[in-house]
Amino acid sequence: MALVTFLPRFFPIAFLNRRVLPEKVKKGLEYFPISILSAIVFPMLFSNGGGKIEIQPQYLIAAIPVFLFAWKVKSLWGSVILGMVLYWGLGFVL
Amino acid sequence: MDNHQFRAGVKAALPIVLGYIPVGMAFGVLARQAGLTPIEVGLMSLLVYAGASQFLAIEMILKGMAWSPIIFATFFINLRHSLMSSTLSLYFNRNRLRTLGLLSAELTDESFAVAMSNTSKIENRPVYLFGLQITSHVAWITGSVAGALFGGLIDHKSYGIPFALPALFICLLLIQIKKIHHLLIMVIAGISSLFFKWALPGNWYIVLTALLASGIGMAIETKLFPSPSMGEGKGGGGK
Repeated sequence: MALVTFLPRFFPIAFLNRRVLPEKVKKGLEYFPISILSAIVFPMLFSNGGGKIEIQPQYLIAAIPVFLFAWKVKSLWGSVILGMVLYWGLGFVL
Repeated sequence: MDNHQFRAGVKAALPIVLGYIPVGMAFGVLARQAGLTPIEVGLMSLLVYAGASQFLAIEMILKGMAWSPIIFATFFINLRHSLMSSTLSLYFNRNRLRTLGLLSAELTDESFAVAMSNTSKIENRPVYLFGLQITSHVAWITGSVAGALFGGLIDHKSYGIPFALPALFICLLLIQIKKIHHLLIMVIAGISSLFFKWALPGNWYIVLTALLASGIGMAIETKLFPSPSMGEGKGGGGK
């Protein structure tokens, strides 16, 4: 398990590291973080574990203020604390 | 070792710690139920260090499955990290293979996302990234061993804990939105991830979304800004 976890993490950086990448590839790589993060966030809010589209109300309602807060104040701590408090509070309501 | 950078990295990891400890505990509790000893739990978190595949491995052990499908599943779940590793290669071009090996062994979704939230801090600064990563790893090991030893000290479903990492990811996603067309990419990637998750098993949806959405992002950027300002200092000079 350790090996098959390590290999995909290691090979690309080891391989690409000493190469001059074409400008196009670099541009593409710069879109990886935003794409990967969207692919992590959206399914959390709009999909059940199995992949069916299903709104997760407690997640979604807590997420909206966190989106707005994070948009205005780019604070990781603030977002995490706000999100946890909202999610916790919603647990009593929903 | 640059102490100042290391400490800055540790500090940047603290929001991750808040999420990793309770999730690690939940893992420790589950692993215990599957018959692993606390030492085995600690070793798994030390050596494997991949949340999603560790949870899946425990489920498969509970179902009495053999080791080969577990290894297979782990590999495919973690393929997404090859995308993150490729992205990190833009920022490290003057480092030894040994350093890169250490950094990539410690790569996780969360530490990658935090690292990418301020790329000026990681550019050719392995010590900063290492501080960020090792702090997260220690939290993961601590959480999982504590869970294995003492059971769930705190119920990991209470106090809003399930939302700690989602909230972190939401903020990290918004930090990535620097230009107006990034919002469009976010929506495209979001919808395509939902589609791929529905259509395909495992974690392929992350890999495919990243490839598709970055392709579209690149196309839009070339349309919007026909003469791209080369480099912008990103990725360094290379060799």
